[in-house]
Amino acid sequence: MSDELKSSTPPTPDTEPVAARSPVPIWIIVLTLTQLFLGMVYFDHHSGWFNSQVYGPYASSEELESYQPKSGEAAMLARGKARYDQVCGLCHGLNGEGKPGQAPPFAGSEWVNTQGIQRFTSIPLGGLSGQLVVKGQTWSLSMPAMGAAMSDADLADVLTYIRNSWGNKGSPVTAADVKAIRAKLGAHPQPLTGESLKALPE
Amino acid sequence: MKNGFLVFLASLIALGGSWCGFVLAPVLQLGGGKQTTILNSTDLYPVGRPGMANQGLQVYRANGCAACHTEQIQQSGVTCDVVLTSAGKSPLAVTNAISSLKLNNIDKVAADAAVDAITAAGGKAEIHIIATGPDITRGWGRRRSVVEDFLYDDPVQLGSLRIGPDLADVGTSRPDANWQLVHLFAPQSVVTDSAMPPFRYLFHVQRINGEPSPDALVFPKGFGPRAGYEVVPTPQAQELVAYLLSLHTDVPLHDAPFTQPLVVSKP
Repeated sequence: MSDELKSSTPPTPDTEPVAARSPVPIWIIVLTLTQLFLGMVYFDHHSGWFNSQVYGPYASSEELESYQPKSGEAAMLARGKARYDQVCGLCHGLNGEGKPGQAPPFAGSEWVNTQGIQRFTSIPLGGLSGQLVVKGQTWSLSMPAMGAAMSDADLADVLTYIRNSWGNKGSPVTAADVKAIRAKLGAHPQPLTGESLKALPE
Repeated sequence: MKNGFLVFLASLIALGGSWCGFVLAPVLQLGGGKQTTILNSTDLYPVGRPGMANQGLQVYRANGCAACHTEQIQQSGVTCDVVLTSAGKSPLAVTNAISSLKLNNIDKVAADAAVDAITAAGGKAEIHIIATGPDITRGWGRRRSVVEDFLYDDPVQLGSLRIGPDLADVGTSRPDANWQLVHLFAPQSVVTDSAMPPFRYLFHVQRINGEPSPDALVFPKGFGPRAGYEVVPTPQAQELVAYLLSLHTDVPLHDAPFTQPLVVSKP
């Protein structure tokens, strides 16, 4: 046996060893709190800041927004159909068939299947009252300016949908077109009549 | 007991902490889920299940289907394909523009850039958004499961083991009611390697008296009861199949977008 062990005092049998309380080092507390904070920030950032609409693999609502399929004519037509069914379909029919005595049809109408779009776009922007011949039938109309309150893009979607549905074939209407025609129509007396509509370029 | 209060406090914090993490936080985050609309449409999603399918959910639950089947599709990524829809007036310019570009399996930024390049050359292109992940590769669904998919399920049958395939979108991939019934009665008759036990107690094998039952199962060749007998489903089997056929997650939503391929109608 070494001298060292021999010299150590053996524990007295009638006292139990006691561990004294000592404070936790302050750096451990600081490190733990910092790690907790950074972990929380990382967790938040990678779960879209707890937004219930953001799921993986999307990290933020901005990233999710950028992946919404928006471009393309198919999407434009889908948006246009949604708006048409809400706003226009009530009178003009969900299939563009019109309503006898009230709203002329869109399907196969010579006012829809035009080369230019100025007349067609002007009708929802300015409203239309009076006599108009559609598909050989004279209609007495009083259409309010249903499109005046719509945004350029929304109205463009609706008009494009009408011009490309139920057998109609027409070029798409863009938001820029609607904006230009809305500006041109500003000074025009409203609502339009059959005559003032025909005075506009097609 | 020494330090009894401390032990009580420590267990309270430990249990309360996990309750907050596992119950409170998910409810706060996802508990407000409500009906939404299908992307680029005004159609509502989800619409409630028909009554028979709701009954079927209880049959699904009673037979322990969730022990082997999950109803949660996972998605690990998202990619874009750029699809040329019109070459415009100068196809050569468009060809030149896209010859140096990668058009498939790219991220949204690259896809936007490609569309801009094609538009500048006079053509037209669309971006198709495709959800990716092992579950989607297996054909179990088109997108990940989101909270809206489970709005009308009580209880939600998420499941955790995948001894069988995921069933979140099985109504889309297996829309044939007779196939589902035959599969429940004799799984190996339609899926050779199936590990699923037959659920024969959901059916009656009966002698054909006069006219065969209109509900009788139509088996593939070489399977089925012997001549003169037929297999008819019990109401439970019909409810279970109604529930399975009502499982659809095949629509794009704002929180799980993808592009529907245009349906090409056959002449």
